[in-house]
Amino acid sequence: MNSILIFGLLIALMLTGMPISIALGLTVLSFLFIMTQVPIEAVALKLFTGIESFEIMAIPFFILAGNFLTHGGVARRMIRFATSMVGHWYGGMGLAGVMACALFAAVSGSSPATVVAIGSIILPAMVQQGYPKRFGAGVIATSGALGILIPPSIVMVLYAVATGGSLGIDPEGKRVLSASVAQLFMAGVIPGLMLASLLGATTFYRAWKNNYPRMERKNWADTLVAFRESVWGLLLIVIVLGGIYAGVFTPTEAAAMSAVYAFVIAVFIYRDMKLTDVPKVLLASANMSAMILYIITNAVLFSFLMTSEQIPQTITSWVTGAGIGWVGFLLFVNILLLAAGNVMEPSSIVLITGPILFPVAVSLGINPVHLGILMTVNMEVGLCHPPVGLNLYVASGIAKMGITELTIAVWPWLLTMLIFLGIVTYVPELSLWLPRMLGML
Amino acid sequence: MFLRILDRLEEILIATLIAAATLLIFAAVVQRFAVGIELLYPIFYPINLTWAQELCVYMFVWMAKFGAAYGVRTGIHVGVDVVVNVLEPKIRNKVVLFGLLCGAFFTFVVGSMGAKFVFELYSTDQVSPDLELPRWIVFLCVPLGSYLMCFRFLQVAWAFWRTGQLPHHDVAHVEGVDEVPALAQDASR
Repeated sequence: MNSILIFGLLIALMLTGMPISIALGLTVLSFLFIMTQVPIEAVALKLFTGIESFEIMAIPFFILAGNFLTHGGVARRMIRFATSMVGHWYGGMGLAGVMACALFAAVSGSSPATVVAIGSIILPAMVQQGYPKRFGAGVIATSGALGILIPPSIVMVLYAVATGGSLGIDPEGKRVLSASVAQLFMAGVIPGLMLASLLGATTFYRAWKNNYPRMERKNWADTLVAFRESVWGLLLIVIVLGGIYAGVFTPTEAAAMSAVYAFVIAVFIYRDMKLTDVPKVLLASANMSAMILYIITNAVLFSFLMTSEQIPQTITSWVTGAGIGWVGFLLFVNILLLAAGNVMEPSSIVLITGPILFPVAVSLGINPVHLGILMTVNMEVGLCHPPVGLNLYVASGIAKMGITELTIAVWPWLLTMLIFLGIVTYVPELSLWLPRMLGML
Repeated sequence: MFLRILDRLEEILIATLIAAATLLIFAAVVQRFAVGIELLYPIFYPINLTWAQELCVYMFVWMAKFGAAYGVRTGIHVGVDVVVNVLEPKIRNKVVLFGLLCGAFFTFVVGSMGAKFVFELYSTDQVSPDLELPRWIVFLCVPLGSYLMCFRFLQVAWAFWRTGQLPHHDVAHVEGVDEVPALAQDASR
């Protein structure tokens, strides 16, 4: 009963178009004032302590690093490297776009940022080469989504944060801890590479069928030069992933290191950014980070309310009582998340649904890491279709195309992604194999 | 005039905080490495940076509270606008105004709760674990940030009522797209 009231109020408030963070906070406040005796001091304390954790601070660092990379010429050199590798195949520039997105995704934790970084350079180049605008925009809008699947990933950090405090009991009655950021990052590598290959295959097929232009084959010397130029950016992959895996850094430290590193290569090595541009980048990053941290604060309040009302436990016992297996449950999770992807942006969805889905999934024997990867892939799909798909809006800004036209343009790749989502959902080993091999699971 | 100063202060504060926190963590990691190298050990060992993580967290919490207020001004706090956008303009305006006032109300309540909390902390002598800063100073960002945010919501609501304009964070605008042809030629070379 209470749960219906809580969610009803939340949905009603959200539909007025007020910021999601405010809707979450107001729901908690009104419920606590009217229905329960929870001391308000506990709420005031949560407002501060909700984000008082060093793990969460990876988010502002990754955002800052991403902004330096986007403006700092790293993307351009990655594109040139990718073009010299795959440019001579069918749909060469499109394939180079997918590969450049995958490379950039390995240094950036956000999808829209990946679309901006790669798309703003490669889309005009594709049009110049005689590709239809639709093809280019479709490739980049969807490949940019790799940004959150290939580590580092802001969505994965959010998942780890959102489920960190939840109590999960597996079918044997043992307590299960949520996935750590490091585990999720490693788990994202193989699905990320696989999705990149699938998107590449789709691109290749479309280009081959329509006989789109190819570029002349570059010789190895050119490839080597392009590689040497982009090596500063590629090195960041080694720093972040290698550093976390080897235990040299915590994920947050790795994020801070990559922010400083990205600043240094943008300003002093590639010199594509002037020192006077730095304050603007700082301000934009602070603005974006504060928005996400504010949602986290209120989402923590909300999950505090849900826990005190025992809503996740109620749902868990209902699901196990109804005899729904993990196959059916994951199907339901996918549908729920895809539907949510129609109205909300990824960080809010993960923060709100994470703490609810986690205990249920664990009680059905689903690995928390697997659930995290599955949610991330769902968020990717949501980013690529209207009405709120952020990648589409960014791509439409770059390509100067309407959203409707772009929606039609992305469908071959979107379909590929949905098929991929099905594979990730029902083949847990895809996400679990690498972290297990590395002894992290 | 006063407003312009407030705007600038807000911007400088959050940009400085994010820069300082990044450098701080960078320094802490570098120090940890340097201690591991035998030659540098005597120089770096005496530097104690165990408080770095705590200070970083506090700086980011402050940045989050004031940055959230700045975000109201730049319109970055997104909501679910699918339903609102299909409403008739007259009703839509009312709903949007209601949303903004709810924002102002919520931040006001939170600010007041925070103020009460800080006031109670002030009479205790609680300090933070590593830095040993008085807790009430650390928590001061909750009332200050929330009241500022409340003020920003009222400002935006007032401007909306007068002009019908909302601040809009334009995701589709990409910086530097105009200078792209040169880059594009570069990439297709």
